[in-house]
Amino acid sequence: MKTYDKVLDVTETPTIVFGRRASTWWGTTAFMAIEATTLVVCIATYLYVRKNFHHWPPAPLRVPDVLRPTISVTFLALSNIANYWLSRKVRALDKRGTQIGLLVMSTIAAIAIVLRVFDFRDLNSHWDTNAYASAAWISVAFHSSLLFLEGIETWVFTALFWFGPVEGKHFSDADDNCVYWYFMTLVWVPMYALIYWTPRLM
Amino acid sequence: MSASVPSVTETMVLNDGDLVTRSELEQSWRFPRGFVGWLRNTSHLSIGKRYIITAFVFFGLGGLEAGLIRLQLSRPENSWIGPDLYNQIFTMHGTTMMFLFAVPMMTAVGLYMVPLMIGTRNVSSPRLNLYGYFTYVVGGAFLYFAFFVNNGPDAGWFAYTPLSGPQFSPGKRVDVWAQTITFTEISALISAVILITTIFKQRAPGMSLNRIPLFVWAMLVTSFMIVFSMPWVATASQMLAADRLVDTHFFNAAEGGDALLWQHLFWFFGHPEVYIIFIPALGMVSAIVETFTGRPIFAYPVMVLSLITTGFMGFGLWVHHMFATPIPQLGQSFFTAASTIIAIPTGVQIFCWIATIWAGKPRFTTPLLFVIGFIITFVIGGLTGVMIASVPFDLQAHDTYFIVAHLHYVLIGGGLFPLFGAFYYWFPKMTGRMMSERMGKWNFWLFFTGVNVTFFPMHVLGLEGMTRRIYTYLPETGWGPLNLVSSLGAVVIVVSMVLFVANALISWKRGVPAGDNPWGAASLEWATESPPPPYVFLHVPVCTSEHPLWEEGETRPVVTGLRTDIRENLMTTLMDAEPDHRHDSPEPTIWPFVAALATGVMFITAIFTVWGLVIGLLLLFPPLLLWGWPRKEEQRRRLAGERDPLARAGS
Amino acid sequence: MNRFIDRLSLLVAAASTLACSGNESALDPAGPQAARINGMAWYMFAVSALVWMAVVTALLIAARKGSTRDLADQSDSMNARLKRPVVTATSITVLILIGTLVYDVATGHALASLPRDKALRIEITGHQWWWEATYVDPVAGRQVTTANEIHIPVGEPVQIIGSSADVIHSFWIPNLAGKKDLIPGHATATWIQADRPGIYRGQCAEFCGHQHANMAVLVMAESRDEFNSWYETQLLPAAPPSDSVSKAGEAVFMSKGCPLCHTVGGTRALGRIGPPLTHIGSSYTLAAGTLKNTRGNLAGWIVDPQGIKPGAKMAPNDLSGSELQAILSYLGNLK
Repeated sequence: MKTYDKVLDVTETPTIVFGRRASTWWGTTAFMAIEATTLVVCIATYLYVRKNFHHWPPAPLRVPDVLRPTISVTFLALSNIANYWLSRKVRALDKRGTQIGLLVMSTIAAIAIVLRVFDFRDLNSHWDTNAYASAAWISVAFHSSLLFLEGIETWVFTALFWFGPVEGKHFSDADDNCVYWYFMTLVWVPMYALIYWTPRLM
Repeated sequence: MSASVPSVTETMVLNDGDLVTRSELEQSWRFPRGFVGWLRNTSHLSIGKRYIITAFVFFGLGGLEAGLIRLQLSRPENSWIGPDLYNQIFTMHGTTMMFLFAVPMMTAVGLYMVPLMIGTRNVSSPRLNLYGYFTYVVGGAFLYFAFFVNNGPDAGWFAYTPLSGPQFSPGKRVDVWAQTITFTEISALISAVILITTIFKQRAPGMSLNRIPLFVWAMLVTSFMIVFSMPWVATASQMLAADRLVDTHFFNAAEGGDALLWQHLFWFFGHPEVYIIFIPALGMVSAIVETFTGRPIFAYPVMVLSLITTGFMGFGLWVHHMFATPIPQLGQSFFTAASTIIAIPTGVQIFCWIATIWAGKPRFTTPLLFVIGFIITFVIGGLTGVMIASVPFDLQAHDTYFIVAHLHYVLIGGGLFPLFGAFYYWFPKMTGRMMSERMGKWNFWLFFTGVNVTFFPMHVLGLEGMTRRIYTYLPETGWGPLNLVSSLGAVVIVVSMVLFVANALISWKRGVPAGDNPWGAASLEWATESPPPPYVFLHVPVCTSEHPLWEEGETRPVVTGLRTDIRENLMTTLMDAEPDHRHDSPEPTIWPFVAALATGVMFITAIFTVWGLVIGLLLLFPPLLLWGWPRKEEQRRRLAGERDPLARAGS
Repeated sequence: MNRFIDRLSLLVAAASTLACSGNESALDPAGPQAARINGMAWYMFAVSALVWMAVVTALLIAARKGSTRDLADQSDSMNARLKRPVVTATSITVLILIGTLVYDVATGHALASLPRDKALRIEITGHQWWWEATYVDPVAGRQVTTANEIHIPVGEPVQIIGSSADVIHSFWIPNLAGKKDLIPGHATATWIQADRPGIYRGQCAEFCGHQHANMAVLVMAESRDEFNSWYETQLLPAAPPSDSVSKAGEAVFMSKGCPLCHTVGGTRALGRIGPPLTHIGSSYTLAAGTLKNTRGNLAGWIVDPQGIKPGAKMAPNDLSGSELQAILSYLGNLK
């Protein structure tokens, strides 16, 4: 017959933690790893089909336009300033600051999604023209799904912090969302360079 | 001891507080009732068990398909099954076994056992776990529905382009395959993420990295492999679906695409896939050997390193599936070397197990018999693997029955034998009943015999020219007699499987009650009742060594201070598992199930129109929102009893 | 190293012919490549068998030893004692694997350095579900295209340039050499050589659809003289029908859809979808090795190809009895 020896009391341990201490951070990071891998698959495909063409992009396609995509990638990269501001407020458990920050990020997300429509147009190709176009489209499309879903998630957090029953742990979740925003925006930079610049350089 | 009342070895009366604790935990962790309750149940015990049973059902279906194949091939020019149906059957066999049975089963055993072995009450994301399960079920049901209406995929489980492309596989069969991949890959990735997070953050205090059971290490390595390999096939299958539905040209040579691109993408996933199936089995073997030799596995750090090395190296082998394609010679040599050298870490593990058996006191129960069968059978498969790592030899053996023999020897020898051993080992924990040892031994010997009689002749058949995926063959080839022998072996396997199922079902109802730790094992899953109650542990254990139950004295060290009026788990630090914070574990809810249905609608309609993705997303939004949106009543209860002042921040 | 491998292969080849000789068998080599691979295969099998026996023996000894104990020995001294055998076993494993790798590379090298100059060139194109073989000759007008049955001269290397007209196929003659995939959009190069005369069979080794199972190829190895005379015959256009039945058969052939898919050299039948029929009368087999070339089989094939190879790309033909007999006569004379 076993008895219990109560050697460790965790009554005083907190319930709200941020960053690597939180299990949701690890879950978010694992999903980032999965999505990054998928982007690597898109890059690998793009580079693999390159060898089947003499010209890049292959005739009759023009090189992708680069002005608007540069504006949108810069916009996305710079949005991390607001993202950083928001995460400071979140970690301080400042509800008002978080509400404002989330509203700003929601607006940024909406603008970014609109800009992304032009990113597609500026590919100057249709996905069914040839393998180059297919590879370029799937790369942009996949990242767009990350952008779009992250936009929705930001809007949901905004609604929660403005209208819903907020508690301490939601700040931790909102912080994970900020971490994800860094990932989603910064991972677009090499994709952008690949899709919009390599046809000019190759 | 009466057979109807499970015996209880944990005392309930020594401490009045324990009675209160138990009743509060029973209340807060109780399973929701009824069928709708089952749809809402977020306990990993319930989800893990249903995963295991569902995977087993698919194993049976895959086995039936194998039986049909063996029947058709038992004699030359058999006209029983025509090519169209045969192509569907062998595609279904491969797809079912690889995607609907092997990986889900291994992750399922992990999802059930890992929380028990690390001393926590649930996984890190119970609702996600539930969603993952139902997505898997939707995928499997969809595949089989399509098959039953003569629309089963028929281009092989590997769906090489351009055969699987729009030009040569018109209709929706291959699209069904592509979306089955999507469903099962979502489920597997979710399981992997959950296992990583749980293992990293929820180990019992004191369970530092060097005290983690080898099975848990195996599930950790496997989960990382899933994270980095599954996206390759997921993306590739969507590219194939896009080629078929919206005229992209990824695999169309006429527009610059490449049939070989498919092979690279698929096999970059496909080779790690077999290690995803194999590595959990290695963990199971360690668990069994430790318990049934009565001593720790020899050279634990080396065993861990072997698992990790195998996991890494598994990513560097994929081109060995493509030696017959026009890939440069120099590249091929690298993959020959890698494919040969990967035998070393596994070999080391086998030597360590043999050393452990030598130094231990082995008890030859059914689980240990299956481990012995594993070593004998798997080594054959591993050795033929080294043979086909050589390019010249592979160019003769590739795409013949020699490969069929090899793959079944490693998957059955290296995967199924440990799995059956694990089943006999952990059945008492999961059900509270022992399986019949007598039937178990018959099960084992019939299985061992049947597997070898079925698959050994295929080595010879392959080298005598019998290629794969053929629905019939001419009598002049001389392949008839060995095919007949192989088919007879398959009958023996079927008998052994019937015995297994009978043993499981009978024992579930009328087996000898098991008690907490019938095997006298060392790890934490044996520190609670059999079957575990919904709250898993009355008190979360503290881990003081690698073999907690062998080293504890009269009393069991445990944690206090976790709330019992709500579902609460203890989170610990990554390296040394020091207590870090408390985390509330989500309550049951219907929304993961609904979300899985919406996911089903999304990907199934996507076969017919791209707008399916849009419709699906719209359908998915409400359940996903409601899944996470806080419930006022729940929140009030939680915050009312909460000691941490920060918890209320914002409210 | 190459000579060592050569001698080893000869020894093993001699031994293995005693063990298993057979058509379509990689273990019955009839050419230099298959011979070397066969030698390597038997070496690896022998080593594998020894390794397996060693592991199983160790396991059984361990089980026996362990079961004689009263208690499991977890002591540090036991763990220290166990180190040496495990390290030794691992080292032996590493040495064996390295040895195997060296043998692999050496065999690959030996295969690559077999003499291959002035090889006969054949372009093989895989179709669903037959093989098209075009003999490449620098002299214009001396190309020969056959289907499913490839003649080669004994003792000479033959270069194969492979591609596919539709899906991936794989060209494989087990008695002669390893296989090579035929991939649309890629031209793959391999070579074969037969050192003794004979008919060597192989089957398509990459799943290619409905009739993948019935896509056999025959390589006929014969003396140079026999090959040359065969080649000259192949260069000739179709033999004109000599009797009235055959003439009627020709008329039936040309009027039904046959010329849409099949070529008969020197006539207006120029179809390239199915195999050429210019010399069908002298084929050993029909339908890519599925049937022996007999009058009865040919009749069955023409009338109901779907019954023999369901899914094949040839439609059934509705012929009266006399039409069928006429066509059979016509085709039978196309030698």
